Amino acid sequence: MINLIFFAILGFVLFGSFVFLALQGGPKSLPESSALQAVANIISLEGTSFANARRLLDDTDYQVLCSNPDLRRLAERLRDDRKHLALAWISLLQADLITLWRFRRFLIHRGVSSSVSEELRTLQSLVFSLALLAVLRISIYTVGPFALPRLTRQAGQLVDSMSEGAAVVLGRIPAAGWADIERSWAKSAA
Amino acid sequence: MDLAICLTAVLLELGAVVLLLRRSLWREYPFFFLYAIWLLFANSAILLADLRFSYAYAAVYWYVDTSDIVLRLLVVWEVFRQVFPKKSALNRSFSKGLAMVAAGLLAAACVAFWAYQTYVLPSLASPAQARLASWRPHLALDRSFGFAEALMILGTLVVARYYGVTCGRNIRGIALAFGAWASISTANDAMIDLANSFVPLFYYLRPLSFVIMLVVWIWALWVYEPNPPIKESEGLELSRWTEDWNRTISTARKLYGHD
Repeated sequence: MINLIFFAILGFVLFGSFVFLALQGGPKSLPESSALQAVANIISLEGTSFANARRLLDDTDYQVLCSNPDLRRLAERLRDDRKHLALAWISLLQADLITLWRFRRFLIHRGVSSSVSEELRTLQSLVFSLALLAVLRISIYTVGPFALPRLTRQAGQLVDSMSEGAAVVLGRIPAAGWADIERSWAKSAA
Repeated sequence: MDLAICLTAVLLELGAVVLLLRRSLWREYPFFFLYAIWLLFANSAILLADLRFSYAYAAVYWYVDTSDIVLRLLVVWEVFRQVFPKKSALNRSFSKGLAMVAAGLLAAACVAFWAYQTYVLPSLASPAQARLASWRPHLALDRSFGFAEALMILGTLVVARYYGVTCGRNIRGIALAFGAWASISTANDAMIDLANSFVPLFYYLRPLSFVIMLVVWIWALWVYEPNPPIKESEGLELSRWTEDWNRTISTARKLYGHD
């Protein structure tokens, strides 16, 4: 009898496991590195190419200057400069996001396959990313560039994930056609 | 109702076989194709027995079902060989271990099957109960081996997921639907032996879940989407990685004073 109860329970547990696996879906498709490289070549992403975000948002210099009463004014100027640079960087990241989104639309317009759910997810991710960047802008504007350094540094990742999405779509067409895509994109962007 | 389910199953099996033939998927999935052919043949025989030779229906059904238990291993093998292709490093690393686990599961299934004679079961006073008693060996065989097969499929999928092996729509659909059906079948068979009141459920739950499995198979095979090839690192890259890893381990040992 125990054997039967064991089989009945385990049968349902196994069934639940299969349903769980089915609901989880397959692993997310990652873009080919060649497609990622091609996206980087086709679109010039100014915000993501900025490599010194860590230094820009690091407040060590500011703290050192503040520790000396004679240099307080200089510290304030440094903070203002960093603030303007951080705001400019966030603006570039926003522009990168919009460009990547436009590039994705351009690819789909050219006949690359996609699904409604995939497009909705991309749109949702774009809106979320832009909203987050807007919040970061406000925070930098109001409380300065050193208030949320970690979150601000991670803003670049929003563009990276959008770039991966565009690379996934680009990867659906043979690599031989990428040069043609690049020419058409340059023409449409001009 | 039984007839409708049986007819639907045969039509769906025919659809699956046609899909495998038309899209030349049978070359890619030969073991699964063999199983689909078997299902078509077997369920056509059951349908024929139901329509023309009702006195032989029960015998045909149970003999077909018993043979099916063994032939289902074709699906398990197809899923395994597609997820871990023969030349892949994962296959080289795990094939022996997983084969031993599979052999262990089959041995456990045999033991569980022989244990059915020891169950304390409801009395056989009425003819319906006596009829049910005649099913018991088949039910025990089905649940024991169905459980082992479902576990093998689940194990393959979990290991694949753990190592980031991507399954295409074809194998994913086949494996998940088969595993879910084998699990339901296991639970259902056990519940019938536990209490006779589950018998009406058995009449519909198992065949209906089988039909749903066939629908999922057709959906999975509708588009040719095999498993993407497993990308393996180049020898140089791998040896560099091994060096780095060994260095990390020795540093960690030094830090904790084990060296």
